[in-house]
Amino acid sequence: MAWDPIFWLIFFVMNIILIALTIYQIVCLSDLEADYLNPYDSSSRINSVVVPEMVVQGVLCALFLLTGNFYMFLLTLPNACYNARLFMKQQHLIDVTEVFRSLDAEKKYRLIKLAFYLVLFVVVLISSLICFIQPINSIE
Amino acid sequence: MGTEDPSRKNFPYRPAASPFSSPQSTMPFLSSPPVVGSQGPIGGSNSSSVRPSTTPASQTSPFISSRPAVGPEPSNFRPGPPVRSTTPFMNPSQPSYSQTPAGPFQRAPGQQFPSNTQVPPPRTSPMGQQASPMPTNHSAASYTSMPALQNPNYQSSAESSYFARPNLQQSSPSMRPYFAPGTQPNAAAQTAPVPSASFLNHQNNYVQPPPVAPTPFISPQHGYAPPPPGATLGPYSMDKIRAPSSTASLGPAQGLAEDFNSLSIGSVPGSFDPGLDSKALPRPLDGDLEPKSYAEMYPLNCNSRYLRLATSAIPNSQSLASRWHLPLGAVVCPLAEAPTGEEVPIVNFATTGIVRCKRCRTYINPYVTFTDGGRKWQCNICTLLNEVPGDYFAPLDAGGRRIDLDKRPELVKGSVEFVAPTEYMVRPPMPPLYFFLIDVSISAVRSGVIEVVAQTIKSCLDTLPGYPRTQIGFITFDSTIQFYNMKSSLTQPQMMVVSDLEDIFVPLPDDLLVNLSESRSVVDAFLDSLPSMFQDNVNVESAFGPALKAAYMIMNQLGGKLLIFQNTLPSLGVGRLRLRGDDLRAYGTDKEHALRTPEDPFYKQMAAEFTKYQIAVNIYAFSDKYTDIASIGTLAKYTGGQVYYYPNFQATIHKERLQHELARDLTRETAWEAVLRIRCGRGVRFTSYHGNFMLRSTDLLALPAVDCDKAYAMQLCLEETLLTTQTVYFQVALLYTSSSGERRIRVHTAAAPVVADLGEMYRQADTGAIISLLGRLAIEKSLTSKLEDARNSIQLRIVKALKEYRNLYAVQHRVGSRMIYPESLKFLPLYGLALYKSTALRGGYADAQLDERCAAGFTMMALPVKKLLKLLYPNLIRIDECLLKADALESTWKKVPLAADSLDPTGLYVYDDGFRFVVWFGRQLLPDIARNLLGEDYTTDYSRVSLYEHDNAMSRKLMKILKTFRETDPSYYQLCHLVRQGEQPREGFFLLVNLVEDQVGGMNSYLDWILQIHRQIQQNA
Repeated sequence: MAWDPIFWLIFFVMNIILIALTIYQIVCLSDLEADYLNPYDSSSRINSVVVPEMVVQGVLCALFLLTGNFYMFLLTLPNACYNARLFMKQQHLIDVTEVFRSLDAEKKYRLIKLAFYLVLFVVVLISSLICFIQPINSIE
Repeated sequence: MGTEDPSRKNFPYRPAASPFSSPQSTMPFLSSPPVVGSQGPIGGSNSSSVRPSTTPASQTSPFISSRPAVGPEPSNFRPGPPVRSTTPFMNPSQPSYSQTPAGPFQRAPGQQFPSNTQVPPPRTSPMGQQASPMPTNHSAASYTSMPALQNPNYQSSAESSYFARPNLQQSSPSMRPYFAPGTQPNAAAQTAPVPSASFLNHQNNYVQPPPVAPTPFISPQHGYAPPPPGATLGPYSMDKIRAPSSTASLGPAQGLAEDFNSLSIGSVPGSFDPGLDSKALPRPLDGDLEPKSYAEMYPLNCNSRYLRLATSAIPNSQSLASRWHLPLGAVVCPLAEAPTGEEVPIVNFATTGIVRCKRCRTYINPYVTFTDGGRKWQCNICTLLNEVPGDYFAPLDAGGRRIDLDKRPELVKGSVEFVAPTEYMVRPPMPPLYFFLIDVSISAVRSGVIEVVAQTIKSCLDTLPGYPRTQIGFITFDSTIQFYNMKSSLTQPQMMVVSDLEDIFVPLPDDLLVNLSESRSVVDAFLDSLPSMFQDNVNVESAFGPALKAAYMIMNQLGGKLLIFQNTLPSLGVGRLRLRGDDLRAYGTDKEHALRTPEDPFYKQMAAEFTKYQIAVNIYAFSDKYTDIASIGTLAKYTGGQVYYYPNFQATIHKERLQHELARDLTRETAWEAVLRIRCGRGVRFTSYHGNFMLRSTDLLALPAVDCDKAYAMQLCLEETLLTTQTVYFQVALLYTSSSGERRIRVHTAAAPVVADLGEMYRQADTGAIISLLGRLAIEKSLTSKLEDARNSIQLRIVKALKEYRNLYAVQHRVGSRMIYPESLKFLPLYGLALYKSTALRGGYADAQLDERCAAGFTMMALPVKKLLKLLYPNLIRIDECLLKADALESTWKKVPLAADSLDPTGLYVYDDGFRFVVWFGRQLLPDIARNLLGEDYTTDYSRVSLYEHDNAMSRKLMKILKTFRETDPSYYQLCHLVRQGEQPREGFFLLVNLVEDQVGGMNSYLDWILQIHRQIQQNA
């Protein structure tokens, strides 16, 4: 399909956004741990990007479905469900009063998410390369 | 139950590691034994200092010197000043050893004496002979009665004392046959060359009525040394002293001197054979027993009212720490009230600046060492050598002590307060500020809260701290918010009503918060008119959230203390709460804990904002209905505040309590805009903090207001697998603004030995601190899981700890079906049971109102150790005899066990848990007494009778007694509840349910609890 390269480009960009947001959150947490940031700033910074990240992730997941990339959709679905669940329970934001107690867990959670996004990144990268190369091949 | 000689604890059972193996391990402890005055540590420091420089053979030398009798020998010991300087331990204040040849060591034996009596006949002693891996007979018993000469203490028993000392080293120049009566297998083993002839002696030794326990000596040697064997140190001896001669009462079979206490449980596990006499169970009828040995070991430490460690022996390795199943940590009460004469000295380094370590920022303290002729000092926490500032320089004397020691309280006292210069301020010190947020809805009017509050505030205006800088302000709220302009030029306050709850604003930029001394007449006028202003209010709504925001907007320039008087469940605007009530169905499910956590994140956010701007929130809740203390209390929890809960407040009944507690809250000495940090030596780290505060960074507690009634608990862990230091130091620093407007730093320093022996950790355990930590952990756990899980976690830890302890001794000793526990933890099971039954954790739905449970949880999270212990195991005192006798002394009050059995129907008892009194009238109490105390009401229903002073001697005496009780614990006002035996449900509600030792509502009695724990310990033991 002619639209495929464009979709893959969008996926690619969204994925990079997700990775960037996650890294930003991890940096905030590390700064907090190292006492470069106070808990108020740190949690407000993190909390300001939590919902955008969830939205981007949800959109990405939906786009995978709409564009018919079922395997990719299945890959991102668990994460989207998990996010939705957190949001429903209102547990998606960092609690500034208890941030130090949950620091390790939050950090671990974000590192795992980062690893997941990186895997996704590799898959998207390969897929989009294939997608870009295919037309060239077919022309030849 | 037999209490076996704790003294013996020492040697026998430890794994036989050679004391030599770790020469380094030694000495800090030496000093521990009760030393005279401040000299105590000397021994310790000297010896430790000596050792690095001595040859291996010289290790023994400390011993020698220690023996008083040795005469000339002590001189060996004398450390040259240079040596001293190397030792981190050394305290400049201490005289050098050579100066006091008679030093601490001798003392040690003296102290030991009491314990001697406990040394059992050899035959019975499992340790020496049967169980201990090594034969004891190598040890030589020395007949020398040496100590007697020099040590007065000793003399009494000197003749009989054949001094036993472990001889650790054959190399010891003294070669005197020392002998540890069977107690020191390890040492003995090493002494092989020593003639064993002594065995007999040692038998004699035993026979002698007051045989001397050798332990003290030994201890110095091995002491605290990493290898387990040595672990017996001075401290033990203290133990013994504390509980001397309990053996006397033992049955013959139990006449063993053992390292532990035990309860003989005759039954096989599983049966309820009354093999255990409930009367013999240990009970803390003397109140809280603190481990004294520790304080005496380190006389320079701060007092235990400021800092208590769960165990004063820090494990040297992670593997050892993992076998200590109880919490490892500390409970800190930085501003604890000091009795007159022991106030914390204030030090002003006006010109020098506060002397601190460059690297770790430790404040200068008694444990730092001065070297290089006084030009440098070594930090005791990070061992960095710091320059002594020019203005602070003082030369050292021959002993290595600064010559100006007597003028430097910071170098001789464990607790000092520094006046902080401007570097310690981010803004000018704030004035004391009190802001009142008063609910004036109909229920507040009806219950009479407003009137009592207004009167009390008015009566306290003269005594508010910080005159003339004190600031004050008021907001009242129902469905609208009323602000009061108290500008000093007005004669009457102006009320401004804001009814826009969605977008709250402050109607005046200033004058809502005014200087008390300037606007005093307006404030007085306001407080006088406040009750009448709202007496016809019929508003049932509460715009609590918006009012809170308004208060925040007014206060956030300065910070201060916000007192909230809350009567009605917040129903309007942000932060409105549902009547989620006490849902019976939620109990026992995974949703149960949600009832105890804030429902609306608004409260947590507000709490965080309050802390950020140095506002402390105290909640006074009065409702007779559900008010969601769980949500509202969060405000107090994260701002260093406190929750006062008066369920179903009626001015006629509860007035005095509210008056007293509010007055205390307003007038007690308060530290403002404070931060607290605890530092500790390398290798150890504080990991979690528990109490009412908010963490501002990983280890910095933000406390907008602190006072003497708040304590904070923290847990520590080992960062390194093996600690190489011999001592760990802790330093608590509280930086605050005093009410007088001065920035101050209160510093408490304490040292604790590092040990390699688990038994030693148990011996040095502090039940009070452990229970405080366990309680806080369990309450926190109840916020994330079921009550049952929280309770079980307590039980599990107690069982694990006692099991580990049992394993320590079970192999060498035929402990059989006895339950064994260290002397220091004898009350642990009982307090554990009390926690189990505490209001915050007990039962389920029906056992405590949700609000009451949450309020109790918030209170227990802040209580200092002693008050917590009193709450857990309250005093029950029989007073009718005392009333009848005209001249009965207060000392005749006897506390009785908290069980229904101890209530005699002919008696009159007072139950005092620190928060309330219950006066229990026995059914067969002489009618005269009741009539005298209650007047003609004495036959009616006691719920309608209140206790006041009648015109007769007996009534006056009772009131005097109650007054005395109240004076011992002024933090709260103990309201008096009268209860007649058999008058249900009143009796059950007030008293019976709180009798910790009884079986109440499906919860174990003390006896069953012990049996249950014992069974669990024996399972797969």
